[in-house]
Amino acid sequence: MALVLLPLLFNGQFILFMATQALVMMLVAIGLNLLTGYAGQVSIGHGALVGLGAYTTALLMKDLQWSFWLSALAGIFVACGTGLIMALPALRLSTWYFALVTLTFAQVVTDLLVEWRSLTHGFSGVVGIPAPSLNGHILSPVQVYLTLVLCVVLVFLATRQLVNSRFGRGMVAARDNPLAASASGVSLWRIKLLAFAMSAGIAGLAGAFYAVQKTVITPEDFSTDFSIFFLLCIVVGGQGKLLGPVVGTLAFFLLPELLGPLQSWRLLIYGVLLLILMLFAPQGLMGLPFFKRWQKRNIVDVDIQFDSAISLKPVKNLDLTIKDLHKHFDGVKALQGCSLFVKAGRIHALIGPNGSGKTTTLNAISGFIRPDSGQVMIGTTDVSSLSPYQVAQHGVGRTFQTPKLLGDMSVLDNVRLGGFMNEHATAFEVVLNLPRVRSDDLASKVQALELLKFVGLSSRAEELAGELPHGQQRLVEIARALAGRPALLLLDEPAAGLSMSELDRLAELIEAISKHGTAVLIVEHHLGLIARISQSVTVFDRGQVLAEGSVKEVFKNPEVARAYMGREGTGDSM
Amino acid sequence: MNMLLNVQDLHVGYGHVAVIQGISINIPEGGFVAIVGSNGSGKSTLLRALSGLLKPTAGSIVFGGLLISGETPSKIVRSGLLHVAEGRRLFKNQSVKDNLDLGLWGLRLSTVETAARYDRVYSLFPVLHERRDVRAGILSGGQQQMLALGQALMQQPRLLMLDEPSLGLAPTIIDQLFDAVVSLRQEGTTILLVEQMVERALQIADTAYVMQNGLIIGKGPAAELQGSELVRNAYLGSFEDTH
Amino acid sequence: MFFDILVSGLTAGSLYCLVAVSFNILYQPTKVFNFAQGDLVMLGSMGSALLLTQWNWPWWVALLAVMVAVGVLTLVEEWMAVAPVLSRHSHGTGWIITTLAVAMIISNVVGKVWGVEPIVVPAPLPFSNDMLNLEGINISSYQIALILLTLALVFGVDWLYHSLWGKAALAVAEDRDAALLRGIDPAAISRWSFAFGGAFAALTGYLASPVLSASTTLGGILLLKGFAAAAIGGLGSTRGALAAGYMLGVAEAACSVWLSPGYHNTVILILVLSVLLVRPGGLVSSLEARTV
Repeated sequence: MALVLLPLLFNGQFILFMATQALVMMLVAIGLNLLTGYAGQVSIGHGALVGLGAYTTALLMKDLQWSFWLSALAGIFVACGTGLIMALPALRLSTWYFALVTLTFAQVVTDLLVEWRSLTHGFSGVVGIPAPSLNGHILSPVQVYLTLVLCVVLVFLATRQLVNSRFGRGMVAARDNPLAASASGVSLWRIKLLAFAMSAGIAGLAGAFYAVQKTVITPEDFSTDFSIFFLLCIVVGGQGKLLGPVVGTLAFFLLPELLGPLQSWRLLIYGVLLLILMLFAPQGLMGLPFFKRWQKRNIVDVDIQFDSAISLKPVKNLDLTIKDLHKHFDGVKALQGCSLFVKAGRIHALIGPNGSGKTTTLNAISGFIRPDSGQVMIGTTDVSSLSPYQVAQHGVGRTFQTPKLLGDMSVLDNVRLGGFMNEHATAFEVVLNLPRVRSDDLASKVQALELLKFVGLSSRAEELAGELPHGQQRLVEIARALAGRPALLLLDEPAAGLSMSELDRLAELIEAISKHGTAVLIVEHHLGLIARISQSVTVFDRGQVLAEGSVKEVFKNPEVARAYMGREGTGDSM
Repeated sequence: MNMLLNVQDLHVGYGHVAVIQGISINIPEGGFVAIVGSNGSGKSTLLRALSGLLKPTAGSIVFGGLLISGETPSKIVRSGLLHVAEGRRLFKNQSVKDNLDLGLWGLRLSTVETAARYDRVYSLFPVLHERRDVRAGILSGGQQQMLALGQALMQQPRLLMLDEPSLGLAPTIIDQLFDAVVSLRQEGTTILLVEQMVERALQIADTAYVMQNGLIIGKGPAAELQGSELVRNAYLGSFEDTH
Repeated sequence: MFFDILVSGLTAGSLYCLVAVSFNILYQPTKVFNFAQGDLVMLGSMGSALLLTQWNWPWWVALLAVMVAVGVLTLVEEWMAVAPVLSRHSHGTGWIITTLAVAMIISNVVGKVWGVEPIVVPAPLPFSNDMLNLEGINISSYQIALILLTLALVFGVDWLYHSLWGKAALAVAEDRDAALLRGIDPAAISRWSFAFGGAFAALTGYLASPVLSASTTLGGILLLKGFAAAAIGGLGSTRGALAAGYMLGVAEAACSVWLSPGYHNTVILILVLSVLLVRPGGLVSSLEARTV
């Protein structure tokens, strides 16, 4: 709980002014850190969002005599709303497209601030912005400063709440491993929008304070360079770390003092600094060993009864039915009319030689590939045209051929990511830390710990997932998939790279999972494992179903042996 | 007999996963060696280590008397070791002829020699000549495999490594392909064939190695390994144990 | 009126197209979008302007000098700001910030050295900026030359990508591993692409100065417009860049007639977002399949 804030009680006008400025910047940086540091979307347009907040506040206060508080609120909405007009389409594009769109957006805002002279007073800007007042009493600069401090603290706490909640996990997943995020039911677009909306609103609020503090604002104040300052703050401090923007802004403000006579070169120096930091210290100040100790680690302090088996039960018991799937890629007919059925609570294996269409089928079921024709039914719902996160929300969990974990997050948090769609508190509730949020949080922790115990890794809950050996990473991924309490669990070659004892553990695990009612579809090459755990098998060969039935029937089928080991003679030509 | 390729105690892994755990292989000049094994046995990983896409964690690879383990892929290609990767990794957005042109990358040849190389590939696979201006992406699977092979042939490799060329192809096409490989061998190219289709591979190779879980569990003349218990167990074995 | 818009639009459009092409050249093998590209064009423009007006160098010497200088600088940029970031995370986006930093450095250095005054550069002989009146159309000989030269350059670059080197660059862009297996060195191809893209940017800057006037603010403007042209046309497509460049140029020119120039960027933003929403790959989109 390290929140260090030193109120500066000096008696110097200049120092107060600087401190107020610094806090305004810090506010924006905290918001930007959410978008760029956590959600991974670089924005070069936040200066414009501050400008929108500033102008809204300034014009409402000066021309319409609104109070500061209402104007600031309006500023927040204008910044957020205008930003969203740009972000709604732009966040569907790749990261660097988004960055350039924000750059263009920033330019557009500056242009329009100049163009709409009748509204914004054009180049000369808004002059003589009144000071905020409360109940008729005009606030002194010290009181404005203290109000700002309060805002910064509140925003920081709100951000911390969000980051430690499922939304924070979702954002990091969207940044580092979008496939894992989608498979866990996170809508990539929505989570980025959330980060954007919050950061834009915060920037708007900062703009309001900016306006009343400077009392004069012009379009030039909110140029591209201004946006880049905020990027610099979070890079210096450390992207994706809670205290990063705080530390970064403070460091950034000390800089001009240290520069002294080189002041006029400061933009150039900022550029060089940015480059050097990204190359040699990409983790920023918070990444230094000294500061790492300050970072809060999720301390597992919960007392749990491990006899609750609710965590392992699917939300609903559903069957999987695939009818007549067709898919071709660039001349290759990957699937040519495949059908499959898995009943809830059963383990069904999908085997076949390389290139027979097994992984394509898994991808079609989980929504990562859209079939050309055919149906994929989970229960009675056809999910074949849904996107991956939607399919996940319909009760499908999956693992991947190579475990897709978030290496820099703890094992516990990785598992909790899987439970994303089962927590119901909205972002709004999270920020306000309402009771529902705390019970959600507790439930998710308990469930994750139970699952880790189930797969045998509860002792490693605190460790970073990237440091686990391969076999254990695989188990964590299975735990994550189970955290969604899926009706259908898809396992993609889980045995690869596992030792004999790990294989035994895996077999026991899968059998236990299906006993709780989950339907399991496992794609595997390790025929020994298949023979041991599956109740039924489908064999694919070159995009078609070659055989299906019980394990015994299928393995005795000479066609199956031939498909695996080579055909003699000629068949039909393609 | 000269060993063209000599692999000693090779270890290869990705991150935490040890895929190949100590393999030794010898391929004589002019020989035809097959490596068989079920999926996950590490066959593809072996080829990737030989062609330089992966760096071995231990062990040595000597090709034509030169130590190549740890070298860059382009150096390895220049020394005459060519890898036709699994899944027909072609440049699908470019034409058949473009793909063959790229096969000549890094070589400085006379016009006569260049023409001869194209002739060789076109006479081996006439369909490539017919469809030389067609975008590689729309060729059929078999034609793509032929193109991938042809592309490698442009370098006139001393050792040609093929990774599961039969993948997803119809039996007649596989026949054509393997016929072409055999004729290449007869012209003097040394062949290393990795295949999941055991019986086919053992029919045309001289010697074979059987891989399982990153290790060699058997080797010998191909004729002896055909239909043997050892091979059958490597693929379907564990089933027999549990039933 | 219509022809004035057309002439103005095609002229500006030609320049936007050239900037977009220089982006494409760099992007192809590396998948990196160089945020410093606009400033590289600016360097070409300022550099040649200075050499021509202050030192009176002959036009072809000045051109060669800036092309070489900027090409080398771009190589340095690749070595310092791009390669290290890519080697750390091959799918990361840290290069957004590093190339942005390079842009800041370049524009501020030039700004410090020269200041913000634009340099007026006369068109190279035998062309001039004087308006001719050809059958009612107002157009200068330089504008004609620029439009024709752009077409020639676009087709020239296309032709270059038909050379073995060009095919290798496209191969690396498509499948890096497959390229490695054929003996192609993706790192070397990337470096050459950067050098070539930088030299091309300098050429663009040189061609732009008689029309736009060389100034240090050129960089930011061309970054946005070049991005818009490249994105709308489809990344990697020279013909797309041409079509998109013209489209943007004409849209801007039309906009100047009915609205004020301050709305240029707004029009561009709307165009970019609308095109990308409907066709994410741009107008001339090459297939982009979803894969797992």
